[in-house]
Amino acid sequence: MTVEIEIAGRGRTVSVEPAGAGRYRVLIDGHPHLVDAVRVGEFSLSLIVDGQPPVSADRGSDSRTGCDPGTDPSPDPRTDRGSDPATPRVTREIHIAPGTARGETLVGIDGRTVAVTVNGRRSRRVAEGGSQAHGVQAVTAPMPGRIVRVLVQPGDRIAARQGVIVVEAMKMENELRSPKAGKVKEVTVSPGTSVEAGRILVVIE
Amino acid sequence: MKVLIANRGEIAVRVMRACREMDLPTVAVYSDCDRHARHVGEADQAFHIGPSEAARSYLNIDAILDAARHAGADAIHPGYGFLAENGDFARACRDAGLIFIGPSPETIALMGSKTAARGAAERAGVSVVPGTHQPFGADVPDRVLTDAANAIGYPILVKAVAGGGGKGMRTVEDPRDLSSAIRAARSEAGAAFGDTRVYFERRLLRPRHIEIQLLGDHFGTIVPFVERECSIQRRHQKVVEESPSIAVKPKLRRQIADAAARVAQTVGYTNAGTIEFLLDEDESFYFLEMNTRLQVEHPVTEMVTSIDLVRWQIRIARGERLEIDPDRALTPLGHAIECRIYAEDPDLGFMPSPGLIRGLRPAAGPGIRDDSGVSAGYTVPVHYDSMIAKLVAWADSRRDAIARMTRALREYQVLGIRTTIPFFLWLMRQHAYAEGRYDTTYLDRLLDERKGESFSELDSGDEELVTIAAALDAYWRAGVSESSEQVSRALSMWQQTARREALRD
Repeated sequence: MTVEIEIAGRGRTVSVEPAGAGRYRVLIDGHPHLVDAVRVGEFSLSLIVDGQPPVSADRGSDSRTGCDPGTDPSPDPRTDRGSDPATPRVTREIHIAPGTARGETLVGIDGRTVAVTVNGRRSRRVAEGGSQAHGVQAVTAPMPGRIVRVLVQPGDRIAARQGVIVVEAMKMENELRSPKAGKVKEVTVSPGTSVEAGRILVVIE
Repeated sequence: MKVLIANRGEIAVRVMRACREMDLPTVAVYSDCDRHARHVGEADQAFHIGPSEAARSYLNIDAILDAARHAGADAIHPGYGFLAENGDFARACRDAGLIFIGPSPETIALMGSKTAARGAAERAGVSVVPGTHQPFGADVPDRVLTDAANAIGYPILVKAVAGGGGKGMRTVEDPRDLSSAIRAARSEAGAAFGDTRVYFERRLLRPRHIEIQLLGDHFGTIVPFVERECSIQRRHQKVVEESPSIAVKPKLRRQIADAAARVAQTVGYTNAGTIEFLLDEDESFYFLEMNTRLQVEHPVTEMVTSIDLVRWQIRIARGERLEIDPDRALTPLGHAIECRIYAEDPDLGFMPSPGLIRGLRPAAGPGIRDDSGVSAGYTVPVHYDSMIAKLVAWADSRRDAIARMTRALREYQVLGIRTTIPFFLWLMRQHAYAEGRYDTTYLDRLLDERKGESFSELDSGDEELVTIAAALDAYWRAGVSESSEQVSRALSMWQQTARREALRD
């Protein structure tokens, strides 16, 4: 099976095949890893990823990863340095669970959390759009709350990441920012309005 | 003595733990969205007190007193937040014949007014931060406000008289921003506390936030404790607390503790309370305010003194005498650090991230204390403060406590929602933090400099591991759905066969 995995804007093509005895051959952009993997409960995986022996001693005879040297994509700069030192075996527990946004997958590793996209199912997070967002964009309520202040008016020119509206939720005031530079086309709420999650608050063109 | 805990979340669980250890029955109260909350399951009895909105449940005095009556409770512990510093609630408890586990209604009302509290500190001979003595109502003309601000000197802080927790507070560096800051502080304070009055205070340039926990019994004994350092704040909200402070030597400790005890004596304080000070670089310190309740950060004091503050709150409320060696209370053993774990996304400007907790495995092991209010399967609601747990690390030295906290943060798993754990891991690595070189403005400045980089930045090795895990997860889930399809196909074949068999007769 082949999947597209995207982390922090970097996409990779990954294929997985069983290699027997609880082990899997995982190719990341053609780069092989032999992984001993088990599920621990519903959302956790325990991985033991085999290290790589020095590349110079290893050419063409990687029986451990079972990769056919004839189909090995080449040249990969990471494997082509000729005398890489051996990388050690790595063991880690990793946690994968659906997040709160639709289609979002959150992966936890050593106290950090990253959103991962599998096969292009992106989580839609307007506020993350940054200056790369194009076209007409909406600022939506990330959670139920109450509008405290509206900082812009229709027709205003605004910069990317400029605050446009303040929503009170969970006892805190949260300033929502514009996903792009542009002009305010529409403001759909006024102070005091209670809003549901996902409600469009400001439209920017 | 049966104790009703008029609160929710981790503090309700914390108080129940003390009650259990003292063999006292406990009563929980809960709102609509908290039916499946942890504090409900950990109490001996539980009563529904209203809808999810705090104003109609955890702030509803009548509903809480009704629950106390039905349960036959003898005492009410208010926790912190909600009604904890509401003099009317304390009075209503007294009028209903219940013991309020806290100070008297009169003391709460007095110290709840920031300007009256400053007056009390001055009477006790304790310096206060230069500022206005009278609160400004909504009808005070702009001219008076401008003159008052000029007399104190910029930068100033505009603070709500009824404020707390960073709400209703604005810094003004430029006189032209004064009126908009007052408007913002009034609007926030009006919504949060129903009181739009504000006052002004000079903002010290590089102060540390130092506070003294104290206990007072009904026989006039006041015991102050070793200080807590709470200078790591984001927008005036404490996020990391420690005890002791790296900036306080034993001699200064005695001075600050004596000042705190004098203020408490002046107002005849009983039960647990905390006096907050700003400590300037030249070791002068100024009274800031008094919190007439248990603090969020009380565990760091408990860790370095081995004194259970909640247990003493209950004993004092029962009329017992304080029997704590004052030297022990003022002599820290080792060092403790607390991180407030919030359901917030640090990578999205600390936006609240409520939702379903799919998995939970708190940190444990040597020197670790987890004061949590949630469990796996609980949905963090949108209606309340987003703190889900407090993680406390204790070790022999501050350095070892930081290492232990780092270890514990890496262990702590909250699955399904985002938390501030990645932010704390980053903070523990900062040199200035490790060396103790910080003041109350440190964290906001540091965060500004980051310009929104992710706190969960992975190195290439970890990114590879995450990629492998995500691919295997997708592979297995695809396999699961394939095999369940086979199961349903097989099932329908059985059903068809069964139907054929039935038709044959």
